[in-house]
Amino acid sequence: MAMTTISESAVGIGLRQPHYREVFERRPALGFLEVHSENFFLDGGASMHALERARSAYPISLHGVGLSLGSADTLAERHLAKLQRLVERIEPDLVSEHLAWGSVGGRHFNDLLPMPLTHEALALLSARVDRVQSVLKRPILIENVSAYVAYIDGDMSETTFLAELAQRTGCGLLLDLNNLYVNAVNFGFDPFAGLTDLAPTTIGEIHLAGHTRTDVGLIDTHGTRVCDDVWSLYDDACRRFGPRPTLIEWDTDLPTLDVLLGEAATAASMVARCEEAAHA
Amino acid sequence: MPDLLECQRDLADALCDGRESARAARWLAGDTLLNERRLAIYRTNVAAAATKALGAAYPVIQQVVGNMLFDELAREYQSRAPSSSGDLHEFGSTFAEFVGQGNVARSLPYLGDLARLEWAVHRAYGAADADLFDAPALAELPAHRQSTIRFAWAAGTTLIASPFPIVQIWRIHQVDFDGEFGVDWSAGEVALVAREGLRVAVHAIGAGDAAFIASSIGGSTLDAAAERALADDPGCALARLLQHLMTTNVICGFNDEEGPME
Repeated sequence: MAMTTISESAVGIGLRQPHYREVFERRPALGFLEVHSENFFLDGGASMHALERARSAYPISLHGVGLSLGSADTLAERHLAKLQRLVERIEPDLVSEHLAWGSVGGRHFNDLLPMPLTHEALALLSARVDRVQSVLKRPILIENVSAYVAYIDGDMSETTFLAELAQRTGCGLLLDLNNLYVNAVNFGFDPFAGLTDLAPTTIGEIHLAGHTRTDVGLIDTHGTRVCDDVWSLYDDACRRFGPRPTLIEWDTDLPTLDVLLGEAATAASMVARCEEAAHA
Repeated sequence: MPDLLECQRDLADALCDGRESARAARWLAGDTLLNERRLAIYRTNVAAAATKALGAAYPVIQQVVGNMLFDELAREYQSRAPSSSGDLHEFGSTFAEFVGQGNVARSLPYLGDLARLEWAVHRAYGAADADLFDAPALAELPAHRQSTIRFAWAAGTTLIASPFPIVQIWRIHQVDFDGEFGVDWSAGEVALVAREGLRVAVHAIGAGDAAFIASSIGGSTLDAAAERALADDPGCALARLLQHLMTTNVICGFNDEEGPME
């Protein structure tokens, strides 16, 4: 298996099944590919072969959506063991999960539900991230999620929470700028201010995606192009943190591969501009 | 984590049932009515994710009953047997029993067996890749030892017997199907679901072949499995089936008692 390494200025796309064939045939110039870890909790077969094929051509990021790190009752050790097996098999460049919970009492919602931003939750998350990193024998990245409800109890902002989590556990952060923006609109805060809470060295990856506007707020659908406001946030993040591996994330109403490559090209040109500015 | 646990339990109840949102409300900041509408976004997402996962595992059932009825079935199934794993590919393992016993099965009595067939296909898709069958090694064995070998079967190999022509029904609903859109309803079928390379193959097989495979997967020797096949179907000719299963590595090894499993 050819070894690949992700670069700081890498721009990638989420690899989804309808695009497997085209990606392998065209081999677009991308800095990495990201897949949902749970789609490869398999012993073998066509999907596994596709991922191994992708792994031989591109750096790979395994992005988990089902570990439910923030479940107050228990950590899903069986799920973690499957992730460990996949990580050992694929040897990805990046492994990430969410600041979220998705199950309690044995029932799984298979959704990324927000955590109260309390000291209690921070202690729980720190212990869970420690556990995952010790099983996987590598640091992971934790992503901020979009939210539609906020809790009464809160001791800190989400970005402060993440900064503290990174400091306590040594994990990196996957900064989803669309999620940050969705929350900023839904709860009325300045997304640019959130970026100042984060130390550049902790940012391991950036996600860019689209959302849908409704009369109850923004909904994070991952089903549209990145909006202008999020591109502005990205521009600011590039200047503040330097270039970081950046992913165009698109999950619902999947467009043609060319649309994704177009969004990736936009991100790449912003990274290039930011690098030029830094060297000027 | 007493507070956090209580909070998550209350929210979970509210997500399962919109009438249960009063206890969740005490944890949430902001306008109660707006929060109720926003909790509904989560409820919609949760139902949609589970329905999508079921549809991916049971695409033929979805086509047979139509999207609207399928969504309804999915919602009801989800409330009775909610997802218990962060991996949605595991969701739906008991859907065949559910649809087989439900009201819809009264007009579509084959639905349960068809769902069992689809779940077998779903599981076989991600099953471990099989070893290559070592035909020369088998040919080198003296005849008396060939009769007592036990075959190793590719992971995911499954038989589903039905009084309905489930393989024909399954086949005409495949996107790449280009044959006659007709089903012979006069007899039932036994489906053999097996990984042939990376492809999941579905074959309708005869009673004798099915008896052979069931017996062999159960651990019988070649001779004993062949006897069972002839008992069920005296006219069955196993040679063609065996040839196919060995060249496709559905039979992926053998144990000749004295040697290790290949």
